[in-house]
Amino acid sequence: MAKTALKAGARFKSAVSDAQVMIVKAPAGEFELACGGVAMVGGTAPVPEGATLAAGDAGEVLIGKRYVNADESLELLCTKGGKGTLTLDGVALEIKQAKQLPSSD
Amino acid sequence: MLSPDTIAQRYAQHLLHATGAMPLHAPVAPARHPALAWRRSGLMALTGRPEAAPAMCLVPLTAIADGALVALAALAPAGALGGDDGAALLAERAAIAGHTRRGAVSPGGACRLLATRDGAIALNLARDEDRELLPAWLQRDDLRDDAAIGAALREQTMHDLVERGRELGLAVAPVVPPPTPATAWCETLQQGPRATAVRAAPRVLDLSSLWAGPLCAQLLRLCGADVVKLESRQRPDGARRGPPPFFDRLNAGKRSVALDFTRAEERARLRALIERADIVIEASRPRALRQLGIDAEALIDARPGLTWISLTGYGRGGARENWIAYGDDAGVAAGLTWLMRQATGELLFVGDAIADPLTGLHAALAAWATHRAGGGRLLSLSLVDVVRHALQFERPADAEALRARQRDWAAQACDEVPAAPQAPVSRGTAPALGADNDAVLRDWGVTC
Repeated sequence: MAKTALKAGARFKSAVSDAQVMIVKAPAGEFELACGGVAMVGGTAPVPEGATLAAGDAGEVLIGKRYVNADESLELLCTKGGKGTLTLDGVALEIKQAKQLPSSD
Repeated sequence: MLSPDTIAQRYAQHLLHATGAMPLHAPVAPARHPALAWRRSGLMALTGRPEAAPAMCLVPLTAIADGALVALAALAPAGALGGDDGAALLAERAAIAGHTRRGAVSPGGACRLLATRDGAIALNLARDEDRELLPAWLQRDDLRDDAAIGAALREQTMHDLVERGRELGLAVAPVVPPPTPATAWCETLQQGPRATAVRAAPRVLDLSSLWAGPLCAQLLRLCGADVVKLESRQRPDGARRGPPPFFDRLNAGKRSVALDFTRAEERARLRALIERADIVIEASRPRALRQLGIDAEALIDARPGLTWISLTGYGRGGARENWIAYGDDAGVAAGLTWLMRQATGELLFVGDAIADPLTGLHAALAAWATHRAGGGRLLSLSLVDVVRHALQFERPADAEALRARQRDWAAQACDEVPAAPQAPVSRGTAPALGADNDAVLRDWGVTC
């Protein structure tokens, strides 16, 4: 599957569900970002027809949650929820722990 | 006793009329000119550029605060709120923290007014981690310093920045005029069964943090409520890390329960406490509570007499319920900074996180009045709408009326040096996190 550069602020949508994400930060280089086993589609590019969720993927992307890889060099924000597990080069991303509340505003 | 005909008095009557509550005593607001109160409360010293003279605000915010407090006092046992002063309450955090005016930077320092390609916006970076979102917000990887951020902002439009910032969970607001159509300060979103008898000392469960919600709950405690402050063990109220006298001011006298929301049995205790409360105060995004299995709408239907106070930045329902706001940027979103620029030609914040204490005052009135009437209501108050409503109250009808107000208010004790914010009287010490877990679970009959 195609690898692509991930830039802060770029948007990607799932090819197999309603899920959408925005890149918060990403390492340099090209990666394969996927949801439900199928590469996510960047920007306004059309979603390929007929793609389906990988068998056995019971994952769900939750709106408002942040997702990171193991060393937290990649961080995504889910802007629209949907089915499927998010993966980077085949490795599942994890939900980032919620931010501490501010001490004042 | 004959009530003085002041803006504060009229505002108190206006609020009481809106709640439909029968006052126990006649509301009597302090008979002072809003401009004089602005000068003497410390709010004027908090408004303006640091190197220039403090600025007068042509919105009677001190009278609004006095009126809301007096309306609550009219429904509370005599003398319950006796020692409190609405105008001073707006400046009490600044008094404790030693904040001063910083012009286009909020007194607390987290919120800034910034130029974009086609207008100004307020950006509140209240959490350190919010800075990590700036590259995604501005779609730039080269934001080395404030100058680079400023340059990136000037290439983009207010509309795009606000929309994208909201999506990312940043507290960002456009500098816009107050809306002309009347804004409600409180919305009833759901009606359920009322209670046949109400407790004189209602059980209040305070799930909120920072300023507006905790202030609301503290005012209810002063009115006679049994208040429990409930916090997550993982994410306790961030104000615990702020100046202790301010946290004490808002939370002394409450009992503290801390629960681990990651454990199913502790989430069950949270739900059990909610089911036993007469008044719930929360300032979470609705989806956060739904993810914990808490559905305010369903609870209103199931539990006769429950009063649910939902505090949000912009209101409940639709996309706006997910937009973040804090006190300073909410004041900007409501139109305060736009009005100040009209009067002074400058971009300024007004007071210190002004929407927070104003919302806390209004929320306490709404909660107390609703509980006394039997509850069974889901009430939504937003920081932005409370300030919008305040700005609309007796707003000068035209430019001529505004100039007349400007002349009259500028002349009020114009030779008197504006006072610094004055530290409030201590109410004691707030409880340590989770200090009252066992006692509250026992007293409220939670056995799970």
